[in-house]
Amino acid sequence: MNAARIGDSPNRVGGRERVTGQQMYVADIRLPGTLQAKLVTLDCARARIISIDKTAAENLPGVSLVMTAADLPQPVPRFGPQFEDRPVLAVGETKYHGDPVAIVAAETAEIAAEAARLVRVEYEELSAVYTLAAALAPDAPLVQDPSLRPKDPLAGTNVLREHRVGWGDVDSEAADVVIDNRYSFPIVTHFAIEPHSFMAAPEGDGVAVWSSIQHPYWLQKILAKILRLPLARVRVVAPDPGGGFGGKQHTKYEPIVAFAALRADRPVRLILSLEESFQAARRAACEVHVRTGVRADGKIAFQDIEADYLIGAYADIADRVVSKGSYPGAGPYNVPAVRIVARSVLSHTLPSTAFRGFGNPQVNWAVESNLDEAARAVGLDRLELRLRNLARKGDAFIPFDTACDGDWQQTVRRAAEMIGWGQPLPAGHGRGLAVGIKSGPTTGHSYSTVRLLADGSVLVYAGTSDMGQGARTIFAQIAAQELGAPLDWVTVVMGDTALVPYDQQTSASRSTVLMGNAILRACRSIQEQLRRMASELHSVPEDQIVVENGIVRLPDQELTVIQVLKAGLGRMGGELIGNGESRKDAEPDHPLQGSAAFFEFNCTAVEATVDEGTGDITIVRHVAVSDVGKALNPLQVRMQDEGAAIQGLGHTLMEHYIFDDKGRVRNLGAIDYRIPTSMDLPLEMESDLVENGDGPGPYGSKGMSEGALLCVAPAVAAAVREASGAVIRDLPLTPERVWRALQERDGKEV
Amino acid sequence: MQTFAYLRPSTLAEAVALLEAHAPDARLLAGGTDLIIGLRDGSERPRVVIDVKRVPELCCGIRDDGGTVTIGATTIMADLATSALVRRHFPALAEAAAAVGSAQIRNRATLAGNICNASPAADTAPPLLVYGAVVLAAGQHGARRIPISEFFVNPGVNALARDELVVAIELPVPAVRVGAAHVRRTRRRGHDLASVTLCAGVDETGVTRLAYGSVGPRPVLKIDESGVLADPAASGAARAAVFDKLFAEASPSPRSMRAGPAYRLAMLRVLGSRAVQTAIERLGEERTNG
Repeated sequence: MNAARIGDSPNRVGGRERVTGQQMYVADIRLPGTLQAKLVTLDCARARIISIDKTAAENLPGVSLVMTAADLPQPVPRFGPQFEDRPVLAVGETKYHGDPVAIVAAETAEIAAEAARLVRVEYEELSAVYTLAAALAPDAPLVQDPSLRPKDPLAGTNVLREHRVGWGDVDSEAADVVIDNRYSFPIVTHFAIEPHSFMAAPEGDGVAVWSSIQHPYWLQKILAKILRLPLARVRVVAPDPGGGFGGKQHTKYEPIVAFAALRADRPVRLILSLEESFQAARRAACEVHVRTGVRADGKIAFQDIEADYLIGAYADIADRVVSKGSYPGAGPYNVPAVRIVARSVLSHTLPSTAFRGFGNPQVNWAVESNLDEAARAVGLDRLELRLRNLARKGDAFIPFDTACDGDWQQTVRRAAEMIGWGQPLPAGHGRGLAVGIKSGPTTGHSYSTVRLLADGSVLVYAGTSDMGQGARTIFAQIAAQELGAPLDWVTVVMGDTALVPYDQQTSASRSTVLMGNAILRACRSIQEQLRRMASELHSVPEDQIVVENGIVRLPDQELTVIQVLKAGLGRMGGELIGNGESRKDAEPDHPLQGSAAFFEFNCTAVEATVDEGTGDITIVRHVAVSDVGKALNPLQVRMQDEGAAIQGLGHTLMEHYIFDDKGRVRNLGAIDYRIPTSMDLPLEMESDLVENGDGPGPYGSKGMSEGALLCVAPAVAAAVREASGAVIRDLPLTPERVWRALQERDGKEV
Repeated sequence: MQTFAYLRPSTLAEAVALLEAHAPDARLLAGGTDLIIGLRDGSERPRVVIDVKRVPELCCGIRDDGGTVTIGATTIMADLATSALVRRHFPALAEAAAAVGSAQIRNRATLAGNICNASPAADTAPPLLVYGAVVLAAGQHGARRIPISEFFVNPGVNALARDELVVAIELPVPAVRVGAAHVRRTRRRGHDLASVTLCAGVDETGVTRLAYGSVGPRPVLKIDESGVLADPAASGAARAAVFDKLFAEASPSPRSMRAGPAYRLAMLRVLGSRAVQTAIERLGEERTNG
């Protein structure tokens, strides 16, 4: 029996299944008679499709189905979470390397792959844009058909949207020093261990769709619209994903797989390869021009930020990434004047989407790096400059948003202490420190049902996806705490729209707060029912009974929940059912249509040294401290922070897509797209938590899972600069790039 | 993956006959760490795959034939890296074998496969060049010996005739004391393909043998007989002049996505001088131990 409660770190619920290969991912689920699907793509980015000859593929024994856009309802349905711009299959033109023009379904994966090769596509390659400069050139070919946004004045350009936010007057705010620099952030990908996987099967008069998706209910809504089915006839089954990081938030190939299954009248599955997953989701690249005005006393006078994000050919959720990610760009500081102009720029590249940090790391890299230069320019310690400007609890640091909701000074001082800020350094070593902030969810809507069964065991129903972040464990801990059940008597049911009530999404580090509150309310509803039961059983007025932490307190005795439940249900048995809802409504006049439910706040500090000959960076020590309100499961919280830090080291040190002149990703796959291994990690890594119980979630918790990724890059680059004098404003900090910066430092031509 | 016939000969003669019958549509399978990737991504589409792992003549392991250490063609990298014989006489080869891929790869990949693949970046090529390896090949017309310095022709192309396969790699035990070091440049510390590979061997007579790869169509061997590199007291300028000469042939591709040409050329010098320094230190240890 596991008596773990809130604040303990029990073993992860489902952890054993994950590490022993018992967990059923989408690819492990086999239905009888399932066809294997393969997508047909072209060997270039943008092309006009002249004709598609399916004959040879269709004639291959074992092939059941070859579908192109012509085989879909006309006009071909388009979908997307923000703009309905993405066709189920490419219509007339491919827009990026990997944009599917057909799907093949066959008896085996091998036959499907061979048939995909036999689909003969006659096409004409068209000029295309893969970089911000090319996409923004006056004569650039348009990525999106302007008819998709008829009244938009930007429709004749590749700018999908421009977002302006700010306050004060940047142009008249006096500053003693202005630091003016440009920074760039590369395209990187999520690299979840489980590639995107999809399966669909006809079910009754509707369809069942299995997907590795993070947002089963959003997918249900999109599929119902495209397939013209009532929601109740679209069942989405979303087994726990094997890593998501944002890359599995939104609908990708579920619509085409569903069409194929309905047409074949058989289950169809499409399991992407790692390479295909690399072409399905990625983070937006970004170029940031930032002017930071600072007064001699170290006070920030203004931040003037222009951020161009290179998004893909279809919007997915990328434009929201741009608006929400750039919005807190001036950081967690009290800045009198701020101007932020962010543009989402379409290109003939694979769609960019949500990625842990949601557009914030790109601007944070620029702004925090610029603050280091500002500190140098006014002769102030880099930590001191930050402390002088950091918002204090209750400060309206973004005038029209949630006020500072934590003791952020405490977090920064703790990180500085842990890295030994101000202590003497060995020769050739340097330190860097940066802070990161991210707006939590701006809207949200979660329901939960909790069932207290007759023996005191508990079923928790939640539409959240547990992709490794540990939501099942947190939810089980909440129910165990409230209803007094041992942790292993709590079962958390997730991932099936036919079973669990609606949840808007699993994103923005929301689930502990939003779904957590829904579960808490469902448990509290059961507690109310127990109170009534106890009142009747013991003839005590309800207001003299308290139910909390699994105990029913009467004036003269304490009973356990199970004692009251068993007596109350009697011989007929039964159960108690609680429903809970938690919502955060939209605010139509807010720049993001909603203020932050909470802020994620992190301070990262790094000590590093540089090999002067090769440019190799060694991170000697890496410290991440986050304000989490209350750690419901401290071990999981640290795992989130340390995992985020390591993922951040990926884009900081080595990760980036490389495109060729046809817009193909040259380093498609694990051989030439490198992520950190255990050998690339800091020699020491340490995390710590600030817990002041000041969050909106259960027990004072805040959402957390992205914070420790936000500011890794500026912290590392600052340490590299102090260690070696190398100044680098483009990520990643590859050995070659560091080496070039060292040559520049020494005045050598390269 | 295209379907193919899988053949598993049980004698060398049978393997050679199959190769002769099916080349050029046949590919040999030993560890498969290059071939399987090619089969999966479609860059290799053979009609016949000949698995040579059960050919007894190829799996004779590592043995000392008195003055020559012979490494059977199907010997895996993991065995090479841990072999006492290899570590005693050819430590830089053991070092290179230990740098190949990951533990899983080293448990499958073979030394012969590494050289037959003829990648300019092959990790074992520089130490084999420094140690003067000889490739023992067998074909329809019998066996022949190919000096390793003549084995690499172009990326993916080796000196074997189409009916030939590698039986073993022979390494002469050095007659004089040698200190050697293998170094490589990668994008990360964890397993990775190298953008520069380099091996330096300094012997007690003052000769330095330097081999490097991944900076041209094939790995190359250069020899400094001037004694400058082997001399720890030589001036920086004198050493730089020798390196200029030894690296003159390097022509890294500007199309590589692993590193730019300027960086590769600069790293040749950095790696070269570090490897020579380590080799000199190891030679010193050899003297002390010997």
